[in-house]
Amino acid sequence: MRRLADLSVTILTAVCASACIGLLIVIIGTIAWRGASAVSWNFLTEQMRLAGASGGIFYNILGTLILLGTALTVSAPIAFGAALAHGVYLKSPRSRERLMMGLHVMNGVPSILFGLFGLMVFVLFLGWGKSWLTGGLMLGMMMLPTVAVSLSERIQTLPHSTIEAATALGLNQSQIVWSVILPQSFGGWMSGSLLGMARAAGETAPIMFTATIFAGATIPPGIRESPVLSLPYHIFILAQDSFDPAVGAKLWGAALVLLLLVFFFSLAALPLRLKLQNAAHDG
Amino acid sequence: MMDKQITSLHPSEEPGCCGRNEGCLLEIAGLFVHAGKRTILGNVSLSIKERQVFGIVGPSGAGKSTLLRAINRLLDLQPAFHVEGSIRLRGEDVYGAGVDPDDLRRRIGMLFQQPVVFPASIEANVIFGLRHHRRLRREEKAAEVESALRGAALWNEVKDRLREPALRLSVGQQQRLCLARTLAVNPEIILMDEPTSALDARSTDAIENLLHVLKRDRTIILVTHNLSQARRVTDWVACLCTEQGEGRLLESACCDAFFSSEACQKVFEKLEDS
Amino acid sequence: MHSLPKPDVNVKLVSKTFRWNWTRIASLGFTLLAVVFLAGMLILFLWQSLPVWRHSGVDFLFGGQWFYRQETFGVLPMIYGTLVVSAIALCLSIPLGVGAAVFSSEILPSNFRLPLKILVELLAGIPSVVYGLLGILLLRNWVYTLLTPFDPLSGDTLLTAGLLLGVMVLPTVMTLSDDALHSVPAKQRLAARGLGLTRAEAIFHVALPQARHGIFAAILLAFGRALGETIAVFLVVGRQDNTLPETFFSLRPLIEAGQTLTSKLGGSETHIAYGEPLHWAAMVGLGLVLLAIAMGVTFFASYFTKPKKETDATTC
Repeated sequence: MRRLADLSVTILTAVCASACIGLLIVIIGTIAWRGASAVSWNFLTEQMRLAGASGGIFYNILGTLILLGTALTVSAPIAFGAALAHGVYLKSPRSRERLMMGLHVMNGVPSILFGLFGLMVFVLFLGWGKSWLTGGLMLGMMMLPTVAVSLSERIQTLPHSTIEAATALGLNQSQIVWSVILPQSFGGWMSGSLLGMARAAGETAPIMFTATIFAGATIPPGIRESPVLSLPYHIFILAQDSFDPAVGAKLWGAALVLLLLVFFFSLAALPLRLKLQNAAHDG
Repeated sequence: MMDKQITSLHPSEEPGCCGRNEGCLLEIAGLFVHAGKRTILGNVSLSIKERQVFGIVGPSGAGKSTLLRAINRLLDLQPAFHVEGSIRLRGEDVYGAGVDPDDLRRRIGMLFQQPVVFPASIEANVIFGLRHHRRLRREEKAAEVESALRGAALWNEVKDRLREPALRLSVGQQQRLCLARTLAVNPEIILMDEPTSALDARSTDAIENLLHVLKRDRTIILVTHNLSQARRVTDWVACLCTEQGEGRLLESACCDAFFSSEACQKVFEKLEDS
Repeated sequence: MHSLPKPDVNVKLVSKTFRWNWTRIASLGFTLLAVVFLAGMLILFLWQSLPVWRHSGVDFLFGGQWFYRQETFGVLPMIYGTLVVSAIALCLSIPLGVGAAVFSSEILPSNFRLPLKILVELLAGIPSVVYGLLGILLLRNWVYTLLTPFDPLSGDTLLTAGLLLGVMVLPTVMTLSDDALHSVPAKQRLAARGLGLTRAEAIFHVALPQARHGIFAAILLAFGRALGETIAVFLVVGRQDNTLPETFFSLRPLIEAGQTLTSKLGGSETHIAYGEPLHWAAMVGLGLVLLAIAMGVTFFASYFTKPKKETDATTC
């Protein structure tokens, strides 16, 4: 009887785990199967024509990369600041805890609200209209908690002996920050940023009001008032009237490209994360 | 120079080893170190003369490392530690108002039990501290690197691979690299916290030989649990031991007198057992 | 033997020059920027939604009608939609996710645990618009066929959105529960097995009870993710206003179109509203309600992760 219970638990949980993996395989399989025929060199390098029914998605990919680059640039200094404040400058455990809490709260803010905030402040109040800069700012603030937490975890696992040795050489706090803490926590920033970008790449809600349009944008000519095309918004719009079979194949192709982009970021972060995890275990 | 009589120090008495004008470099008086509610060091008073190897021996847990870290104020990094009493370097109170601990640490270098090299090239490790203290021109940099590495007797082993990662060196070489790094900053005191306990016999020899050269210009405070090492290299020895959970100073005497001192025999037996 | 330069005894101990610590200032300044952003967001939503609170008061929260031309604004149907959709998502993802976590942490050999988690995290990384696409092109039709006996109007229902969300938050439940289970010390399990408990008994009496806080936090975080999800829900929920059921325990709304807070905000009404102060305030008010719920869930979840940290500290 006990043996039977044991066996059934094993089988049941194994079924759950296989269901997870099965879902992954089915989803990737479906998208790859339907989208593969559309993806070609021309698809990646040509611009969109006939409202998505023809041509490629070059400027959509470009727009997404511009947004991601901006988000990376925006999040980096703030994440470094917050991680250093948490790991070095804030002395009282209470304020450190509050800072972490703030980051967790920010991480839990629904992405549509970042979009609404950007719409209110930049698009309407400052009158920028749809602008890639606003989209990048919002995506940057959205990925900030991921980057900052990953970075400060890394800073916390830095061996105390390294900092002690640098202090014993007569280096002051700033010198230690620049020559010991920042170089050695770079991996934490990299992996956090890659994970953050993996999430930001697929986000539609923060950019649909603020940064991206469906057609008619190429390389942004200006800083503030130029919208871009983007992959997720492209898919979002086409998905809503996807009855034209010609659009259908292109749509799945775009989804496949987006999926590959996201997987690229999360898999690129993987070796770093494993290395840091091992280092944390050994140290 | 060295007087050969036993100078016993009892906590209540004034430290009286050297007169005020006899090159007394570091004067520790009534030093207490508390960590939270626990007392780690209780009422330690010591006088340390210039240009000698000053040994500190004692069982583990007697607060030897804590004493060293109190001298160069490394304990400041751990807010739980609290230091009372005075430590004077050439008459200036190390814990006095307005003292910049970073400037203090430029005058008092330190070598740790485990070598701590930074994940950078050998060359970068040597000038790791120095390049922050003054601006170096390129040719100056090379000269400083060579001088420090020669001072640590490492130059011949690494001169052809200065740009290789320092982590590829053996542990013994790493420890000498740490010494070179400290020498590059050019401190007048070097604190050594059991610097050879992680090393093999050959590297230990190398470091011990260096001590004899280094003490010509500098003062070295060497913590060791190895009594024969203390006998070999030190000029003066202080012994810390544990009483009621806190570290106390048992004896401070010149080397020869120290090893014939009765009071220390018990401690020696204990140390040699372990 | 090489001779070193004489030691530097002229370094002054008492340094009189005061210098700005720019690294510290920059670091704290950037941190302040993040804090100001978060606080600013909250204040902006409060301020911009003031007119609607003045206009409707608590009826804004508890009113069941939303007709912006008549200036009637009630959020309750959308709160209802959000809660129902999230509840369906949790009903699907909790058993599957916790089950999979038990399998990966307790049953699977430890060198397979990481690969499994990596695959599950890939599932988490699939963009919501891709889930939405799958929902609109596949799941919607499946649900429609499945529900034919009940005669639904279309496949765009709260149920469809809930099922889709369930798949989306499944990885969150799974990896975080797995972390919680994994942080239960191996010694405890060993001791239980030593007492003659079977593996299943050790799971139910040792691992799961000790990890319960962590698992609960995982569920809360998944809940937070589900209620904030916009795009996938937007595409399959039907976006039908004013669909509050007569009785709260009726199952009928599940197979009808509905509206959630996020799908309303993501729609074109946000653009229409700008220019009419009251309507705009109502839309921002929706955002404020969503923000308040999301923050509440995060605070609640962090309350449950705290005890876990303490046990971590003692086991290390």
